[in-house]
Amino acid sequence: MISAVHTLWARAWRGRPPQGWLLLVSLATAILMAAPVLYVGVRALAEDAERWTVLLDERIPALLWNTVSLAAVVGLSAGVLGLSLAWLVARTDLPWRQTLRWLVAIPLAVPPYVGAMTYVVVFGPRGWVSDIVGSTPIDMYSFAGAAFVLSIFTYPYVFLVAGSAVGRMGRAHEDVARSLGLGRFAVLRRVTLPLLRPATGAGIVLVVLYVLSDFGAVALLRYSTLTSAIYYQMGGFDTGAAAILSVVLIALTLVVLGVEASTRRRARFYESSGAAQSPRRIELGRLRWPAFIYVATVFLFAGLMPLMVLGYWTAQGLLIDGLDPRFLQFALNTLQAAGLAAAVAMFLAVPVVYLRSRHASVPAAVIERLAHAGYALPGVIVALGVIFFSLRLAPVVYGTALMLSIAYVIRFLPQAMQSASASLELVSPRIDEAARVAGLRPLGVIVKVISRLIAPGVLAGGALVFVSSAKELPATLLLRPAGFDTLAIRVWVEASDGAYHLAAPPALVMVLLSLLPLKWMLDRFREA
Amino acid sequence: MSGIDLIGVSKSYAGSDRRAVDDVSLSIRPGEIVTLLGPSGCGKTTTLRLIAGFERPDSGSVGLGARVVADSATWVPAEQRGVGMVFQEHALFPHLTVVRNIGFNLRRGDAAKRVAQMLELVGLTGLGDRMPHELSGGQQQRVALARALAHDPVVVLLDEPFSSLDADLRLQMRAEVRRILKDAGATAVVVSHDQHDALAISDTVVVMRDGRIEQVGTPREIYQFPHTRFVAEFVGASNVLHGVMGATGDRVDTALGEIACAHTHGLAGGTNVLLSVRPDSFEIDEDGPVQGTVLSEIYAGTNTDVTMRATTANGQSLDLLIHAHPERALRVGDTIRVRVLPDFVAVIEE
Amino acid sequence: MKIKILLAAMLSLLAIAGTGCATQTPVESSSADEPGTLVVYTSRKEAFVEPLLAKFTTDTGIKVEALYADDAVVNRLKEEASRPRADIMIGNDAGALEYLRLQKVLAPLPAPPAGLDSIDPAYRATDGSWFGLSARTRVFIYNKDLITETEMPATIWELTDPQWKGKFAITRGGNGSMVAHVSALRFVWGDEKSEQWIRAVKENAGAITDGHSDIRKAVGAGEFAFGLVNNYYYHLQVREPEDNNVGIIYPDQGQGDMGAMVNAAGVGFVADGPNANSAKTFAEWVLLPENQKEFSGTSLEVPLNPRIEAPEGAAAIDSYKVHALKLSSLGEVWEGTRSLIERAGLDLELK
Repeated sequence: MISAVHTLWARAWRGRPPQGWLLLVSLATAILMAAPVLYVGVRALAEDAERWTVLLDERIPALLWNTVSLAAVVGLSAGVLGLSLAWLVARTDLPWRQTLRWLVAIPLAVPPYVGAMTYVVVFGPRGWVSDIVGSTPIDMYSFAGAAFVLSIFTYPYVFLVAGSAVGRMGRAHEDVARSLGLGRFAVLRRVTLPLLRPATGAGIVLVVLYVLSDFGAVALLRYSTLTSAIYYQMGGFDTGAAAILSVVLIALTLVVLGVEASTRRRARFYESSGAAQSPRRIELGRLRWPAFIYVATVFLFAGLMPLMVLGYWTAQGLLIDGLDPRFLQFALNTLQAAGLAAAVAMFLAVPVVYLRSRHASVPAAVIERLAHAGYALPGVIVALGVIFFSLRLAPVVYGTALMLSIAYVIRFLPQAMQSASASLELVSPRIDEAARVAGLRPLGVIVKVISRLIAPGVLAGGALVFVSSAKELPATLLLRPAGFDTLAIRVWVEASDGAYHLAAPPALVMVLLSLLPLKWMLDRFREA
Repeated sequence: MSGIDLIGVSKSYAGSDRRAVDDVSLSIRPGEIVTLLGPSGCGKTTTLRLIAGFERPDSGSVGLGARVVADSATWVPAEQRGVGMVFQEHALFPHLTVVRNIGFNLRRGDAAKRVAQMLELVGLTGLGDRMPHELSGGQQQRVALARALAHDPVVVLLDEPFSSLDADLRLQMRAEVRRILKDAGATAVVVSHDQHDALAISDTVVVMRDGRIEQVGTPREIYQFPHTRFVAEFVGASNVLHGVMGATGDRVDTALGEIACAHTHGLAGGTNVLLSVRPDSFEIDEDGPVQGTVLSEIYAGTNTDVTMRATTANGQSLDLLIHAHPERALRVGDTIRVRVLPDFVAVIEE
Repeated sequence: MKIKILLAAMLSLLAIAGTGCATQTPVESSSADEPGTLVVYTSRKEAFVEPLLAKFTTDTGIKVEALYADDAVVNRLKEEASRPRADIMIGNDAGALEYLRLQKVLAPLPAPPAGLDSIDPAYRATDGSWFGLSARTRVFIYNKDLITETEMPATIWELTDPQWKGKFAITRGGNGSMVAHVSALRFVWGDEKSEQWIRAVKENAGAITDGHSDIRKAVGAGEFAFGLVNNYYYHLQVREPEDNNVGIIYPDQGQGDMGAMVNAAGVGFVADGPNANSAKTFAEWVLLPENQKEFSGTSLEVPLNPRIEAPEGAAAIDSYKVHALKLSSLGEVWEGTRSLIERAGLDLELK
């Protein structure tokens, strides 16, 4: 009997059952990550059928349409922007392309709610353009305004992912197509673009997931989506309705993730094998300067202008009032909450990633998936889950700064895991075996050998988690304890109130902070 | 199908002083299968790309059939040359089925029929609706070949077509690709760094080195009678000996004694020469004139690779590589005697 | 090399995070025995409350931890009622305060604080769980360049008139002041007419904003002819260096009209808050006349205590006709109003 159980156990793990402690730590992590989100679902299902009906009839159709149409338009335009920029920068003789490659990635460092703020400053109804010209070319407080702002601050996702595919593309496919009689434009249309479709799609999925989760930008631009509705519902005494809307949003997110999974399966076959030679640089000829103007214009609107607005208002703020004396405290709060989240994420990522890599099996995959629960889920839902969960089961944590860090870990642990996992892939399992043969116990292998080898990846992942946490807005708004404002909160509070001279300094700090990992991300995507 | 004529073609790349292709002239007959063989950087791939129209020569001319496609005044781009290409990694379009790969840009009324013909030619009838990733490596190669042939190309260019295949499949595909090319009556240029591929598939082998042609010949000529030390050592292994031409012009006097040699380029007696003696030219013989001891032996199945330390006429020693019959059990330290057969002996240039 | 720098950076981060936690811990465990702290949740604007709290700390030495979270604080207090984190709720709407009292989230102090008598009983909870300090009246702010006083609508109902389509701005239905206002309308009109009003106004409004600051600024800048706001937003806009040519209308002042809706901002006491002593200290402190004045302070609301001087130019609360609704009755109808608003589709949308 016992031996039968053993056999089954071993078979489930494909003959490599993990050490008990490794399983325990990983499982605990997975449960911690998934439970709050699952709890939101439980809470929603516990609501009356009548609440559901009212919401489904009255509120949800409009919100769903608002959300889906925004996500679709932003996904599409960010896709076009990102792909065209990636191709121009990587494949053509665009002037100053090395510099531009950097510049057009900068919007990634601008949190969209900061970007939205700068657009309200410039193009808003009482903005600079309106002051000078008397009218604005675009109504920022509209679908178009929200779609425009989100597009220009999210296209770098497509730019990076598609750019890396452009970089990996060999010249064979294009050469074959030309030998089969296709001209340059036809090659681009019939071969190059179809080959880049999966990578572009993956980038667009990231954009769409972001749009689904965005709170700050749409709220500042007065556009309603499911996410902002959940936030306002939370503000409006109605957690039950918030939970119900969350379930709808989770379902929507799962649909998007499903699409992503299927594209990713297909994308595998698009990767060229062998030591492909890099394709020839395409001469743009007469289009060289128009193309340059296009790329420069994108940078102007998505990078330069927001930075200049922040710089201007920061200078104004310092001249008018001097620095808010509480600024240092806000920065320290940010450092504490985000730093703790980064440290915990680095610590938790290693066992889960190790389990997934070295004990690859169905249970390990399930644990890893569970640990991804917070991935792609909007911050408001994670916050909602953490609130429900901690109030019922861990009241000691409730209302402390720790709760904030927990929410950050749930949202951003996957970033640390992906980074650690990429490093671990490069370490052969033979290293583990060699260490065991040399007399180390399994724990010793992880602590003394593997951890050191993958330290760069883990640290880089920690840095990503730190920056993402420092920028996080919606969960922070809902979870921060009294007297514990972060820089992101200050940007939001002051920008909502139109006090741009007070919003700009913390916003600028966040942008500069986010620029740090940008170089690393660019390099990583180039190599990948 | 057309022939190919390269006349004095040179090409260098920006940022490099060296010529990737240096004054290459080559004439390929219609229906001939030619392999450009050489180590990486020898200019073979550049030559292929010059023929395909992916690169433009700095000087010289490229002719396809009766038409000059590139010289100082003419430039026909790749898509208008009507060449077919097969790449190392096959470069099948991953988003298209087998049929649509083969029929890619095939603008003719009987396209469907043509694709079916091609599928039959390469032996893939019935697999037309598969996606490339659902095919084995050999099948992918067949599709790539079918795609190249479907357009009735003037020539087919194959860039390292076998190097992505496993050893077993490789043997099989060499024969198969040669059959398909011959059945299609195609003029084909193959680029390879693998002598076995080159010898097995080609009518003519062109050995290249540093952008120049080292030797052109049938596979047999190239292997049996290399012209230069480079060819002798790159294509198969060889023992290179110093010697002096004998007076009769059919023997060379070496440290191992006189060796019969049919391939002497008509050099006059008394000339100092280098002699290439293939390991296959040595035969173990109790009465052989050369004596030595076995330094190492490696059993390779089809033969035994033996390194033998021979004692030369002037009392010095010389290490020789010998292919011994596999049935013969040898041990390190054994003393053996060998004789030299004239079949694989050639006078070469440095 | 790079890795070492990164490692050092992460380690120092950890150290900071660690010390942060260490300093945080005593605060978290602070209990009633530790009178040094007061935790304040407020739905009021930070700019209004922050100077008041700073003065409190200066005067008493008690450290204040404040959470400014708009109307979300009401829900947050309700959610964490089983384990309260806050001592004081500073609300901008008596309805919400009363609602929280009914939910037993707010409770009276052990003994009524000195000075409570200075507030009219109409503006405080029957049991003293909360008391109002300053009045906020629902008014129209209008741009004098775009519309004259005589052209302006005189009643709230007139907002449903199609002639105003796109001409005015309101806040979304989740805004506390709007909820209280709708409660007051229900009191007079009943549910059916109120719902009709919400639907028509939602259709007519040129913009539906999250808060009132956007409305006063937009009206001042001439984006809209007028907006429905609380009276102090008019006073704030008049004091702006530019875009200040605005006027104010107290609606429904005619014979038989319902009168302007008055709401109160005030202070509530969280049941079983962690720092009971601090809460008591605060209650007595804020009821001192100078602090009552400070409470209205930068908001330019009108003090409910008639003996406290009103801001310059603000109409005294007894100078116009006010709605007959008793403020504490707003609490009972709170949820009903919420669902009415939700049914009518105004609770979330911004426009």
